[in-house]
Amino acid sequence: MMTHVEPWVVLAFCAAIFFIGFAGVLIRRNILIVLMSIELMLNAVNLTFVTFSKQLHHLGGQMSVFFIITVAAAESAVGLALVIAMFRTLRGVDTDQIRLLRE
Amino acid sequence: MIMEPLKTIRPELLQLTDPQLAALLPYFVVFGGIAVVIILSVVRFMKPKWPVFFLSLLTVGFGIGAALGLLQEGASELVFNGMMVSDTYSNFFIIVFLAAAGFTILSSFRYLDHENLQHPEYYVLTLFSALGMMLMASSLDLIVLFIALELMSLAVYVLVGFRRADRRSNEAALKYFILGSAASAVLLYGAALLYGMTGSTHIRDILAFVQSHPAGLPPVYVLGAWLVIVGFLFKVAAVPFHMWMPDVYEGAPVPVTGFMTTGLKAAAFAGFVRVLLATGYGKGLSEAVQANFHDLLWVCAVLTMLVGNIVALTQTNLKRMLAYSSIAHSGYLLVGMLAGPGSEQGYAPVVMYLVAYAVMNLGAFVVLTIIADRGDSGLNLNDLSGLARRHPWLSFAMGVFMFSMAGIPPTAGFAAKYLIFYSAIQANEISLVIIAVLCSAISVYYYLRVLVYIYMRDPVGSPAASRMSVWSVAAVTVMVVLTLQIGILPAKMVSAARKAVTSL
Repeated sequence: MMTHVEPWVVLAFCAAIFFIGFAGVLIRRNILIVLMSIELMLNAVNLTFVTFSKQLHHLGGQMSVFFIITVAAAESAVGLALVIAMFRTLRGVDTDQIRLLRE
Repeated sequence: MIMEPLKTIRPELLQLTDPQLAALLPYFVVFGGIAVVIILSVVRFMKPKWPVFFLSLLTVGFGIGAALGLLQEGASELVFNGMMVSDTYSNFFIIVFLAAAGFTILSSFRYLDHENLQHPEYYVLTLFSALGMMLMASSLDLIVLFIALELMSLAVYVLVGFRRADRRSNEAALKYFILGSAASAVLLYGAALLYGMTGSTHIRDILAFVQSHPAGLPPVYVLGAWLVIVGFLFKVAAVPFHMWMPDVYEGAPVPVTGFMTTGLKAAAFAGFVRVLLATGYGKGLSEAVQANFHDLLWVCAVLTMLVGNIVALTQTNLKRMLAYSSIAHSGYLLVGMLAGPGSEQGYAPVVMYLVAYAVMNLGAFVVLTIIADRGDSGLNLNDLSGLARRHPWLSFAMGVFMFSMAGIPPTAGFAAKYLIFYSAIQANEISLVIIAVLCSAISVYYYLRVLVYIYMRDPVGSPAASRMSVWSVAAVTVMVVLTLQIGILPAKMVSAARKAVTSL
């Protein structure tokens, strides 16, 4: 049986996920967790698009999600490659170790 | 509940007519060129170095030619169901981006040899980034804009970390990647909220929504618009979203830094102007809309000019100094954006300033590329002491670029700054102009200090091995000529910029 969920509940949920992801990017020190937080932000956006799409009866939002998923995949590929390059020179994946440029 | 069928996307609309194909020619040329470069770079029976270099230049050349042809016609053509437009604005910017990519390729050829980085991927990534910029200037849909932004940025993230064995390069790339991706996500969340409020991600539909609500806009709309604007402010490195820029500029290889300051910044502003107009910041719109966006952008512009210029005073590394100067120039450009709706010239001064800035800044970075030692060291002010004796021509060129960036006549920088300040006065932004002129006066100190070191100090240490290549010197010469030409006879460039913004 389907229960009806108010759109604003879902939208508030999306906003919460988005800001959890944003906080994760700013606060967490492990780069892999930071990459996951960026994914979290993008997926919150996807959910927002789908909710609005359902609410507006307009398929454009669901179309957008496909593109965002594709771009997010490309982004993770590049991000992980950069992490590996950094791991080779730094032997670590903590953002605390990124400090050469601040000096 | 049944979804409304997709009325707007019909198969017959996905077929391209002849004028549409013609309008897409620059994109096809660049994309085709990239595909051939990729194939050439993996062939085994020869070294790909020379063919890849020449083919990249050829691609850029043909792309510029195609865009010039379209610019002459001056037609405006909607393509891909109205998601992209090929008009004078986008074609004008295509020329700027491709020229930036072309000069970057010219100047980095010898540099890559010297740094043991001669991989064909460098050229491929530069061209892909240029393609992303081209799409960005022509997109009329927030999702297309996002894809273009990511195409441009992802290629540049890799280019920044191109010196794989170097720790600074890695750190800069990762820092740029994390902050850049987060900013893109913020922009996208803004786009989602705009979609929810207006029912479309299309820029013109969003504008229609704004125009149908003259009394006031829903708060969610304002929040969404702000999130999109924040994403762009991050890309153009406006204070308080500028923290990444000095570090990334310092860590990236010198020619890539030059490419970022010119191409990336011009592309971000090209997209920014389109989106800002769509979110309601334009002529003839309600006071409520203007007030929503004007005041905070005003604060942002002032902070950007002040922080950029004041912090640049204390920098001794040239790359870092030019990074802060780049932030300061973003501030002047924001002045032009603020003044746009209120002055009769509209956004033409912004376009003109972007061209002038691209020319002089790219020139300065080509000079730095030539004089940098291995591993991008030797770019401190002290290392420039007595450069005039070793490289008289480069020193003269650097002098022209520094004068231009400080805004001293008869250079491109002066003409562009004059136009921006003039349009800001027309728009009654007197206090903003006063602050901008004072900041500009501060900036003269650190630009001319470079010349003091070049011309008035004795050389220190042994002169580094020179690696001037014909390509780099040709690039510098073209930039000097262009800087002086735009400065002495600005009318042609001004009318080109005016023509470009008429199609907005």
